[in-house]
Amino acid sequence: MKDFWTKYSRNIGGVAGIVILAIVLVVAIGAPLLFPDSPWKMVQRPFLPPMAVDGMLLGTDTLGRNVAAGVAHGARVSLLIGLISTVVALAIGIPIGATAGYFGGIVDDALMRFTEFFQTVPNFALAIVLVAIFQPSIYSIVGAISIVSWPPVARLVRGEVLSLRKREYVEAAILAGQSNSKIILTQILPNAMSPIIVLGSLMVATAILLESSLSFLGLGDPNVISWGYMIGAGRTVIRQAWWISFFPGIAILLTVLALNLIGEGLNDALNPRLARKS
Amino acid sequence: MKRLVLAFSALAMVAGGAVAEPVSGGRANVVIQPEPPSLMLGLVQNGPTQMVAGNIYESLLRYDHDLNPMPSLAKSWSVSEDGKTYTFTLQDGVKWHDGTAFSAADVVFTADVFLRETHARLRASLKHVESITAPDDSTVVFQLKNPFGPFIGIFEAGTMPIVPKHIYEGTDYKKNPANNTPIGTGPFKFADWVKGSHILLTKNEAYWDEGKPYLDEIYWHVIPDANSRAVAFETGKVDVLPGGSIENFDVERISNLPNTCVTDKGWEYFGPHAFLWLNNRQGPTANKQFRQALMYAIDRNFAKEVLWNGLGNLASGPVSSSTKFYSNDVTQYDYNPDKARELVKASGYDGTPVRLLPMPYGETWLRWGEAVKQNLQEAGIKVESVATDVAGWNQKLSEWDYDIAFTYLYQYGDPALGVARTYVSTNIAKGSPWNNVGGYESTEVDNLFGEAALAVTAEERQALYNKVQSKLVDDVPVAWLLELGFPTIHRCNVKSLVNTAIGVNDGFKDAYIEK
Amino acid sequence: MSMIQFIAARLTKAVFVLIAILILNFCLIHAAPGDPAAVMAGEAGATDELFLQQLREQFGLDQPFHVQLWIYLSDVIQLDLGYSYRQQMPVADLILERLPATLLLTGAAFVISLLFGITAGVLSAANVGRWKDTLISILALIFYATPLFWVAIMAVLLFSVTLGWLPGFGYETVGSTYTGLRRALDIGAHLILPAVTLGLFFTAVYARMTRASMLEVSEMDFVKTARAKGLPRRTIQRRHILRNALLPIVTLAGLQAGQLVGGAVLTETVFAWPGIGRLMFEALAQRDYNLLLGIFFVSASMVILFNLVTDILYRVIDPRIAS
Repeated sequence: MKDFWTKYSRNIGGVAGIVILAIVLVVAIGAPLLFPDSPWKMVQRPFLPPMAVDGMLLGTDTLGRNVAAGVAHGARVSLLIGLISTVVALAIGIPIGATAGYFGGIVDDALMRFTEFFQTVPNFALAIVLVAIFQPSIYSIVGAISIVSWPPVARLVRGEVLSLRKREYVEAAILAGQSNSKIILTQILPNAMSPIIVLGSLMVATAILLESSLSFLGLGDPNVISWGYMIGAGRTVIRQAWWISFFPGIAILLTVLALNLIGEGLNDALNPRLARKS
Repeated sequence: MKRLVLAFSALAMVAGGAVAEPVSGGRANVVIQPEPPSLMLGLVQNGPTQMVAGNIYESLLRYDHDLNPMPSLAKSWSVSEDGKTYTFTLQDGVKWHDGTAFSAADVVFTADVFLRETHARLRASLKHVESITAPDDSTVVFQLKNPFGPFIGIFEAGTMPIVPKHIYEGTDYKKNPANNTPIGTGPFKFADWVKGSHILLTKNEAYWDEGKPYLDEIYWHVIPDANSRAVAFETGKVDVLPGGSIENFDVERISNLPNTCVTDKGWEYFGPHAFLWLNNRQGPTANKQFRQALMYAIDRNFAKEVLWNGLGNLASGPVSSSTKFYSNDVTQYDYNPDKARELVKASGYDGTPVRLLPMPYGETWLRWGEAVKQNLQEAGIKVESVATDVAGWNQKLSEWDYDIAFTYLYQYGDPALGVARTYVSTNIAKGSPWNNVGGYESTEVDNLFGEAALAVTAEERQALYNKVQSKLVDDVPVAWLLELGFPTIHRCNVKSLVNTAIGVNDGFKDAYIEK
Repeated sequence: MSMIQFIAARLTKAVFVLIAILILNFCLIHAAPGDPAAVMAGEAGATDELFLQQLREQFGLDQPFHVQLWIYLSDVIQLDLGYSYRQQMPVADLILERLPATLLLTGAAFVISLLFGITAGVLSAANVGRWKDTLISILALIFYATPLFWVAIMAVLLFSVTLGWLPGFGYETVGSTYTGLRRALDIGAHLILPAVTLGLFFTAVYARMTRASMLEVSEMDFVKTARAKGLPRRTIQRRHILRNALLPIVTLAGLQAGQLVGGAVLTETVFAWPGIGRLMFEALAQRDYNLLLGIFFVSASMVILFNLVTDILYRVIDPRIAS
């Protein structure tokens, strides 16, 4: 572990990513303390520019709601949606990929056809259709994002498992009569974790972008405030009030950037094979 | 907002005193949103279809801003003493766009055969008609079974568009290939339609109203994004933005551009009336005190000023002030959160969340939904917003699967046409979002509406409608919000654009571009 | 396996995948609340039972679900995509009308992103650790992390509204009568903003990928050998490194090409580009079943086609795969 940190901290970008994400997390967790009022509450005159009035650091939106409160509370939702959809996507992709890679043959064939099938349907289009059909809510959004993002996980895990399966310690476990599920869970997956973790951190970033795109098209959950929603709502007034969509946009940019930096840092630290020369 | 209002009044003066001589020539570039599914007005009557096709098809009459009939295809008309015989004398020398002569037979075919089959809204009014006949080529007689007050108001182009008999008789109307190249009698002819891009109408040189139209062509631009529509006006690509084509938040900015005029006239016939459906059957909204509480809880002035650019009026009740037989002698509900909280408590509300369905018609409506939700929460009501698209919203309303839902309806100039349908118990049925969706039932109201529609004189009708309005406002079957004001934005040198109660929908007949 | 056998096998498989996609989407869209008849009646602002019934009969929606599915599939197998309820036109005509715009937009974005992405990646890899590399890497990361629609709006604001350099929306100047070269230039001017916006994300992806891939290859033995042989740096970069580093990029390009149709929804919406991405979004909102299914059919076919092309390219670049 110590070794890992030493390696990781050598990557300046990765460290910066951790710092930014930590700030975002603090804001997300502290939102109810920083802004105890609901972010939906109309607290001031509409269209107040940033810092025009005390307490409205980032200005107010079209209805006179506090943009800063929206950004802070929105952090919770964006991160949550990003995280949960990634976990769900991993929960779908890992078993499928592991099963396919471990058993091979007809099982592999069938599962990979299934995966390919999902890759053939245009991603974003499928997400739109799914959310529209099940009506926008946190659940349908998380579901749609997971459904379109698990196939790469399955492919990656399958590849890893395929190569690990031929390792001596796995062969030994098979000869020792261990059950298949036990071998996969205890021998193979732990050794395939590094690339999965790297992919996972990037998937959270993609999921946040996906959610904001869906909200931008009006397919967000109306009961929670999210950055994507704020941009979508501020977009119509962007020329009168740039700040309404500017700050949540920056929030997305920073968070996604941080996650990508972390992903790269992890990649360098966990896969020395691919480590950069610098 | 003040500045904007001033701009309106200044314009009203200009429009009132238009003395300049109209000039011929030029092209009007107009935004159309969304793209109409078809231009055959006899088959499709949605907003965008009527906006374009209102220049291709005509009806017997037009209506001024006070809803008084004006000549169109009929040059004169008379109503018998008993209110049961309507006789129209048609214009001379009217030709269809394909050159065939127009005659009374076309009107009879349209009203008696074609539209009876295709036009749901007109079908309801035609129930009162005994016979439609053409004693000669230029006379049409509608013989009614009983007096029907609103009858003189149904001869508007979207309600009764006259279609060519020689093209449609004996064919399968919906599959007739002529639907793609509509033939009417109107001032403009269909020329070209590139789907997803534009529709082109050209001047009807053989138009019966000599000297008109003035414009050579109308170019309708299909631009699917509200921001792009605003840019199109700013960059000079379009000259006219009909009501609702840009986001309300952009109206003030666009109105302040040079050479830009705004009017909110031209919607009197439709009288768009925004209200909340309240589910009268179940849940907290079944309670009258709870419903009254909503009227006090909602800050309608905020919505008018912040969301609707200060246009329109607070709706005092079921009838719009631009519709006939409006009465203001009813209980007034002002924004009063304290009173709302009291009434909510008194109603025995137990804290169950109510499901609020905003209208999926763009940003303004979504923001309005959020503002109302906030208002209700401040009155102590728990609210859960339900997101839907247009199809989902239709279905949820049709299946009565909601507690509170936004909507707005047209009134078509007369309570019997556009108001009664929302409140009479005979109009309760699953499967449609346009009937009595709230499920309000009152024999008194049913009877009053029934009698008022059939009464012969205007005085009788007014008395009955006064009663029904005051009764409804006390019962709050739905929560009335605003009489919506839709601004038509245009370059000031496009003159004489809005002259009738349906505005741009038949406005290009008289419009001209000052050089 | 010969190339022809390979292609034949892949195409046979593709037919089944396409049918499966159609069935899935057919079920999905029919599960959505509301139907086209209700939407159309809704737009008319008034309706009665008779009207709805007429519409449903006209569209064949009064049939049982499995019958509708069967009718649809047998039509598609005969290459008949059906009729759009809402637009009152054959679906195939509608798609063919809109497809060129989408292909132009996404094709341009594709070329832009490949061109700039690979150049940036090569530059970056050649200057590892120096300021050029850092700058490119940071820019790539930022483009990669920015929401596409956000860039689109900003671009319109800056280049169209504020500076007035480029048209901000549409496919060509509305109402123009340009022909020939003049028209091509006009369309080109309209194309720049959406194509660059759409291409930005993939430019970033290619830049990062090319850089990583080049660095990885440059560590390999044959490159070390070439260096030991004393070959010029540039020659090594072009002949040995870039060529081998291109393999993963081809895969990615194939993937991007496949997503071109579906991925353009946002860009087409903001820039009012009359392509099939926008058409899809409209068809969905209007529950225009046939049209939506038709678009899915076409875009899935594209994905399959591009995957096939990628695989063929792979076999050409690296003959070892064939065996």
